[in-house]
Amino acid sequence: MNRVAVALCAALALAGLGASAGLVLPARWRSAAVGAATVAAGVAGAVAGAAAVSGTGWQVRVAGLLPLAGVTLAVDALAGWFLLLVGGVAAVVGVYTVGYTGRTGRGPAARGALALLPLFVAAMLLVPVAGSVSTFLLAWELMAVTSLLLVLSEHRHSPAVRTAGLWYAAMTQAGFVVILLGLAWLAAAVGGESFAAVRAGAAELSPLVSSGVFLLCMAGFASKAGAVPLHPWLPRAHAEAPSHVSALMSAAMVKLGVYGIVRVAFDLLGGGPRWWWLLLGAVGAVSALYGILQAAVATDLKRLLAFSTSENIGLILLGLAAAGLLAAAGQLAGAGAALAAAFLHTANHAGFKALLFCGAGSVLHATGTRDLDQLGGLSRRMPVTTGLVTVGALGAAALPPGNGFVSEWLLLQALLHQVPAGGTVLTIAAPVAVAVVALTAGVGVATFVKALGTGFLARPRSAAAAAAIESPPTMLAGMGLAAAVCTGLAVVPTVAAPALDRIATGLRVESAPLHGSGIDLRLAGIASSISPLWIAVGVVGIAVGFAAVARAAGRPRRRARAWDCGDGPLTARMEYTATSFAEPLQRVFEDVLAPEQDVDVTHSAESAYLVRAVEYRRRLPDRVESRLYRPVIVAADAVGRAACRLATGSVHRYLAYMLTALVAVLVAGVLR
Amino acid sequence: MTGAANTQLLNLACGLFLLTAVGVLGRRELSALIGLLTVQGVALTGIAVLLAAEQRSGEVAAVAVGVGILKAAVLPWLLRRILHRVPEARETAPLVNVSASLLAAAALTLLAYAAARPLVALAPSPAARAAPVGIAVLLIGFFLAATRRRAISQIIGVLLIDNGIAAVAFLATGGVPLVVELGVSADLGLAVLVLQVLTTRLQAAFGDTDLDDLRELHD
Amino acid sequence: MSAAWIMAVAQAVLVAAVAPLLVGFTRAVRARLEGRAGGRLVQPWRDLGKQLRKEPLIPADAGMFFTAAPAVLMATSVLVATAAPYLSTRGPLSAGVDLIVVVGLLLLGTAALALAGLDTGTAFGGMGASREMTIAALVEPTLLLSVFALSTRVGSTNLGAIVAAGVSDQARILTPASALAAAALAIATLAEAGRLPVDNPATHLELTMVHEAMVLEYSGRDLALVEWASAMRLTILLGLLANLFVPWGVATSLHPGSVALAAVVFLGKLGVLGGLLAVGEVFAAKLRLFRVPELLAGSFVLGLLAVITSAVLA
Repeated sequence: MNRVAVALCAALALAGLGASAGLVLPARWRSAAVGAATVAAGVAGAVAGAAAVSGTGWQVRVAGLLPLAGVTLAVDALAGWFLLLVGGVAAVVGVYTVGYTGRTGRGPAARGALALLPLFVAAMLLVPVAGSVSTFLLAWELMAVTSLLLVLSEHRHSPAVRTAGLWYAAMTQAGFVVILLGLAWLAAAVGGESFAAVRAGAAELSPLVSSGVFLLCMAGFASKAGAVPLHPWLPRAHAEAPSHVSALMSAAMVKLGVYGIVRVAFDLLGGGPRWWWLLLGAVGAVSALYGILQAAVATDLKRLLAFSTSENIGLILLGLAAAGLLAAAGQLAGAGAALAAAFLHTANHAGFKALLFCGAGSVLHATGTRDLDQLGGLSRRMPVTTGLVTVGALGAAALPPGNGFVSEWLLLQALLHQVPAGGTVLTIAAPVAVAVVALTAGVGVATFVKALGTGFLARPRSAAAAAAIESPPTMLAGMGLAAAVCTGLAVVPTVAAPALDRIATGLRVESAPLHGSGIDLRLAGIASSISPLWIAVGVVGIAVGFAAVARAAGRPRRRARAWDCGDGPLTARMEYTATSFAEPLQRVFEDVLAPEQDVDVTHSAESAYLVRAVEYRRRLPDRVESRLYRPVIVAADAVGRAACRLATGSVHRYLAYMLTALVAVLVAGVLR
Repeated sequence: MTGAANTQLLNLACGLFLLTAVGVLGRRELSALIGLLTVQGVALTGIAVLLAAEQRSGEVAAVAVGVGILKAAVLPWLLRRILHRVPEARETAPLVNVSASLLAAAALTLLAYAAARPLVALAPSPAARAAPVGIAVLLIGFFLAATRRRAISQIIGVLLIDNGIAAVAFLATGGVPLVVELGVSADLGLAVLVLQVLTTRLQAAFGDTDLDDLRELHD
Repeated sequence: MSAAWIMAVAQAVLVAAVAPLLVGFTRAVRARLEGRAGGRLVQPWRDLGKQLRKEPLIPADAGMFFTAAPAVLMATSVLVATAAPYLSTRGPLSAGVDLIVVVGLLLLGTAALALAGLDTGTAFGGMGASREMTIAALVEPTLLLSVFALSTRVGSTNLGAIVAAGVSDQARILTPASALAAAALAIATLAEAGRLPVDNPATHLELTMVHEAMVLEYSGRDLALVEWASAMRLTILLGLLANLFVPWGVATSLHPGSVALAAVVFLGKLGVLGGLLAVGEVFAAKLRLFRVPELLAGSFVLGLLAVITSAVLA
């Protein structure tokens, strides 16, 4: 029997087993059992994905499983990539969950919350393997509902969790409806609902239908992916969900939004006119810039990571847009590189964001706060966590030798080397995109220096941070696994070359966009190359060498008081906090961020010239949310209130409404 | 002069022409703006001279001389005279801040480049290929006039617009008839004189030359 | 293969040896122009020697990041000095370290030092780190657009390829596009190396410091490493500026004679650029921190114009 089929069935079965274990077992064993089942399901999913990206396909139709349409599964290299990604993240997070949820049996360790975790993983594994519109929609909705319930697992803990759940529920359901409309329209237009039938019939679609389907699906998928301006659920849900759920959502679930865009736009519709890609690129550029700017000024560690997710999704969408645009212009070498960049970045982001969300979870676990202004001093108390988070931050900041750097390098190569004859649009779009990527990268470095430097270094700024202790071994093991994957992707990204080759060929772009000897990373048709392994070895080796020589040659270090201008010992209150660190950036980008600042000066009672207290408050509301969503919410609220008048509470009246509606439908039918 | 060297020089002159326009957006001191405008006038003259040399045309050479006298000497001199009469030396609070203005200049240049593609395709000579530079300067001039408060900045904006038009005319068509250039120059001289009077009056009425004060006349 | 490695190591040693002298040279020129006697050319080397002998102190609250940062900064500088085409375009790492990696490595060094500044737990360290990262973030678009302008005409971002193309086809060098890119990169270099008008390397007032505020707590051998690596960064950046835009004299082979000649030419170019830098600094005043974005926006526009000009005139 097919390897993919066996592994996939095993993954689903293990997930089911994990869910029942979560429901049945006592609190003492629950976390360990569910964690183990999640790891096993994740590993099985990853095995299925690995088999699929190495060329094993699988298709099956089970007619009886669902009424009307049945269930169709189809696994190709594209699905395999996302299976691998979801499975890998699930395995890492599964290990972490054991320690994170613990044995309390409450909150995220409650029966329902734990039972849902393997189900959520199973739903995410089903999304990429769905082979027909109805199966896809079913899996998508299953994923949305399980993730929503998981976000709400700590709803007793604070009202912010409930607000986050409401936003997420509203936006994910709106997104689902839009995708449903798009895919149903597509299926109706081609007269078949399996993806194979859609693919075959897409060539004859009218431009109106294909563009309409593209717009609807893109809106739905981009909102799931957290692209600006459809992102407001993301910083709330990611921040308020339990950290292992945040890691799963940010590292795996939002990638399925990217999968949806690729599946529909590249595969099912087979590409489209230039404006599709320009629109997608614009969304990507805005997401990247706005996301990283919001992350740069965020003081909540998980909110920072959530906005950084928007940023990375923006970069991925930029890569996809470049691939589409270049492919449409016939520049297949650039298109292949851009596609490889986008896909590699999905994997890289999954690696470092799983690691970083788990790290944020460890900080929360140890101190009870996510506020960077209240943290600090963790590097001495939680050295292993700090080291692992540093690996993740290196990747997220896209600095060499981190893993994010490789995919950003690929994206830049694709943008730099479009042939000048590519036309006006490309000539203008390419430098703008390069500038966006560059500014994003620069601000990204500042953001993660801030997260690491003010969160983990120097001395603690609160009692909770001072009392922090290192996380339990299972949490460290989960993060260690993620760090190992990040390091592997950073040093030998060429391992992904065969998989990217199959995906690109399957999407009818360039075949074999990446190649190389395992050390050098080369591109098809572009004369640039790097060797990530050499860079990593060089930086680490030379640094260690210099440190060793300096240590041997110089005198030993002595601890002493820091320079305090001769004015008594420094206290933690004098340190730079996350807010003060980001202040220059906030001022430079004041026009974009529109911060709200209040300064209240209280004067002494004796004289107006003596100041007793100065109070400074700064708020950085999400401007997109307040400008774009508030009016909609207010309008919806008004409509709702107006509609209240229709519902008086009289049963007769309600029955009369129903009768009227029925009669109206029948009359309409007769008249037609 | 060989054709290749001529093209190189033309490109350099065009680069300088555009750069001075961007520089005008980047500086605050009004005297620096006038200095940059002078340099731009020299660059425009250079473009005209190079075209005249290439076409060996006496009429273009005469226009070049006229342009040089007007843009590199007379207009800057007039502006300096206005500057001496008013107390402000700096553009203190432009409606759009300097960084954003520079980014806008970048965007306008991209737009000019895109918009000029059909024009370039019409006559693909080295000179015509540089025509987007003129359009970019024109757009930057408009932007300057729209976002600066001081009257002198606005005059400079108008002069940038005119320089841009002149450059497009030179580059795209290989020269302007003498009569047209004379007419335009007379117009410009008149405009500067009118603005000079306006500035002096504004100064007398409000104490500075912030053109936003003119709104008070409407009420 | 081995000849290439010997050349690369010799180049790194040359950069490391010359870097403090370049700093001494700029200081001497500046002092002479300002009517002071100034120090000798080798004074920075003497300072380094003295610092190496002193006892290094670390702040009470600092941790691993503080002690590791000098070595990481030095590693990035040495790696770039090994890989960049200062003497010959046929270096052993020319296929492994391209211009984007160089930009990334320099940023890595900046980030390491910023983390060290935050690790000290002093307000000055945090202030320097915050300012330095803001400037570094804003320089990035200029740097990459200059890379764009430089690499499109060659079709590769590999440093060796860009310089080799410049050596073989000198007509490409004096174009408006490359002049604009050179101007953009020069401004970016000033910001990256922490020179006037972005940062004042000679300041003694903590509130105006950027780079110096971050390294205020270093002493002894740690300070020596930081200062040496910073001098190397200046040399690296000026060397890149010289060789990318004026590639004359760079060897295209590994022949010892031509490499030696290239070394002499390289030192000459460094001297000229260092002198220009010193002369410029005599006349320039430090910009207010919040005026720096205007300067960098200007350099960004120059970079963008370079890219567009190369497309227009292509």
